[in-house]
Amino acid sequence: MTLADYLPIVLMAAVGIGFAAVSLWLSWRLAVNNPTPEKLAPYECGIVPLQEPVERFPVKFYLVAMLFVIFDVEIIFLFAWAVRFEQHGWAGVAAVGIFVALLIETLIYVWKRGALDWNVARRERYRTVVAERLEESQRVGEAA
Amino acid sequence: MNIDYHALAPEIILALTVVAVLVVDLLPVEKFWTAVVGLGGLFLSFIPVLTLGFCESLEFCDDTGVRVLFGDSYVVDTFSLVLKGVFLGGAFISILLSVGYLESDRFWQGEYYFLLLSSALGAVVLASSRDLITLFVGLELVTGPTFLMAGWRKGDARSNEAALKFFIIGVISAAILLFGMSLVYGVTGETTFTGIRLASAGIVDQPLFTMGVVFTLLGFAFKVSAVPFHFWTPDTYEGAPTPVTAYLSVVSKAAGFVGLLVLCYLAFAELRNIWGAALWILAALSMTVGNLIALKQTNVVRLLGYSSIAQGGFMLVPFGAAVTAGASPAQLEDAFFATVTYLLIYAFMNLGAFAVVIAVRNRLVTAEMDAWGGLYNYAPGLATMLAIFFLSLAGVPPLAGWFAKLVMFRSALSIGGGWAIALAVIAVLNAVIGFAYYAKVVKAAWFDPIPEAIPADELRGRSIVPSLQFALGLTVVAVVLLGFFPDVIARLGDLTTGFVSGF
Amino acid sequence: MTFTDWVAQAENYVFLAIAIPMLFSAWRVVASQNVVHSVLYLVGALAGSAALFLLLGSEFVAWTVVLVYIGAVVVLFLFGIMITRAPLGQDVELSQPLRQRLPAAVVSGSLFLLMTGAMFDAFGGDVIPETEATRTFDVGISIFERWVIPFEVVSVILLAALVGGIVLARRDPDEMTEEVVSESEEVPQ
Repeated sequence: MTLADYLPIVLMAAVGIGFAAVSLWLSWRLAVNNPTPEKLAPYECGIVPLQEPVERFPVKFYLVAMLFVIFDVEIIFLFAWAVRFEQHGWAGVAAVGIFVALLIETLIYVWKRGALDWNVARRERYRTVVAERLEESQRVGEAA
Repeated sequence: MNIDYHALAPEIILALTVVAVLVVDLLPVEKFWTAVVGLGGLFLSFIPVLTLGFCESLEFCDDTGVRVLFGDSYVVDTFSLVLKGVFLGGAFISILLSVGYLESDRFWQGEYYFLLLSSALGAVVLASSRDLITLFVGLELVTGPTFLMAGWRKGDARSNEAALKFFIIGVISAAILLFGMSLVYGVTGETTFTGIRLASAGIVDQPLFTMGVVFTLLGFAFKVSAVPFHFWTPDTYEGAPTPVTAYLSVVSKAAGFVGLLVLCYLAFAELRNIWGAALWILAALSMTVGNLIALKQTNVVRLLGYSSIAQGGFMLVPFGAAVTAGASPAQLEDAFFATVTYLLIYAFMNLGAFAVVIAVRNRLVTAEMDAWGGLYNYAPGLATMLAIFFLSLAGVPPLAGWFAKLVMFRSALSIGGGWAIALAVIAVLNAVIGFAYYAKVVKAAWFDPIPEAIPADELRGRSIVPSLQFALGLTVVAVVLLGFFPDVIARLGDLTTGFVSGF
Repeated sequence: MTFTDWVAQAENYVFLAIAIPMLFSAWRVVASQNVVHSVLYLVGALAGSAALFLLLGSEFVAWTVVLVYIGAVVVLFLFGIMITRAPLGQDVELSQPLRQRLPAAVVSGSLFLLMTGAMFDAFGGDVIPETEATRTFDVGISIFERWVIPFEVVSVILLAALVGGIVLARRDPDEMTEEVVSESEEVPQ
């Protein structure tokens, strides 16, 4: 593959960048531009933040991001195998199979440990409260 | 593709153990079983190491001599088998040390053993790797889990600091190492050590190749915590849970030395004047700085941290002595043998020393030396073992440590030449300094009075858990046995096959 | 290789077109006073390196850089910034005093000179041969036959990283029970 083969890709990229640039330029030309400090604030109609929040994001987001990275790396290796998997033969299937099996164990582990479960605590509590109320209302109904 | 499954059996069994520990952890059984599965797996994977080692005298074994796999990149020879034995043994004893310790921490036990075993798997792979890619990936598997284990006590700020320092330094050293390796590959066009050695014959004088070699060595200097790349060591050793410190100071450090050994004596054999000079400086600095700072320590764990830096310096002495231009292949083989022997003996005595520290901390909590006064009066057994391990580290005959020091001096003196002799003299001075602070701990435990601040009922204390007793027994037997019968190491077979002159 | 030869090659202009913006964004990564901007400039530097790999005919490596580094690692960086309490705007603490900048400049400058000198010494007159691009299949062959052990070891590293990450990031079970107590007041009545 020589550089010339990338010409369509370069053209495509040029068209994409050009479209974005033209759109931005047009909206800048056509729109009324009258900024005030309030309008430039991140949340224009929200309450004015007094301080930086203690925790912007729960750590749980980070776990999801880590899972994403790990399976992203897996995809890369699978890609190298999948382009011509029949020529790698059963040895290739075995190698990839072990690799994927270990990563599936990752997924099982994460699942079982409840790292994919958001706010278990509150949901559990909610369930018990709802169940109690149901029971109570039934008892009240029976009494009536 | 034809794979020699017998040669890979230790790795395969250990990998299955790693998976099994995580599965057992998820099952609704007592967490205690994860440790049992881990110990069993380590024991099982030790069996193929033995069958491979004694292949010629076994009927079913197809004796093919040195087994070379995957196009020169993975080799199973006597050296790698002995080192695999050390790594598996070190991991075994580390798990034994951890059992009692982790019981106080009710959560995440299974994950701890899982991480420790995957790190050991990396070390076992590393021992056989004979190409840059396998070496690097193996080393990453050794160190990666230990970053996490160092920070295991999440609520403890010291543990967090230990993990963070270790992580940042470890990642930077990995980057330097990888950069050096990429330069070496760029200049030679080879990744296997034999290929690099063949290709390097014509380009010995090329500055870029020299830079690649130096960067690679610097990356390993961080791993073995040689001065001046040691700053993370004392803080990490003190802050991490003590069993993790034991593991770090033995298995993780040994993995770094294995990398140095195979790289210097195989891949960069033509550049002996460069790595010899670089490691000469590191050896002299590590011994002197490590020992002098250790002299002033009052905390036994911190003292062992600096002592492990100094011991690393002793292991580097044969490398540094090899800088002498006229060294013959036989003398270089002797130097190679000296480092491996030192590593082997150091593994047992340092693990033993940490086992004693953990046992004493079970009673006293603190590791301050003053509080350890009069240990002999209420725990004579522990005090005796403390004396055995610390005097062995100091190199007092007839404990194993003296043989390690003997072969180290012998190799340096037999090579001769001004630089080698100078390094040997520095090593002698440091052995004397070392004796001073090891003896100080022993003196405190045997002859000092019991501090009055310690309540009497605490001294009667708890009994030592069986796993810790087992670990202490194993290491004591090894240290005493290797001291009286050092021939055992020579009987392990020709460790230097395939290195130096076997090329 | 003479200068006229250099001028005659179209690839060299492509190289310059990639390398100059890449250098600029690499400079901005360290010089920017806003961490989020640093991360975004890092995307530019990484995209440049991917383009250089394409220019050298290693497509697989180039798309790996795009997928793993630009796609995943940068996202992880942004998450890291969001989760910690790093200030999002300008951070004056990020600019170091001169007595720290000066030694750093000396060290990095001399390392740069040393490296460039050694590079020129080793490869100064070489011309990169125009070969066929490396096919992904060939990369696969080396991964699955020659380096199958490191390949499997990588999966253990990934597994260990995630398991350890979960242990360190999640709360211990006894803290979770406290969470239940504190959040029970929020249950809708």
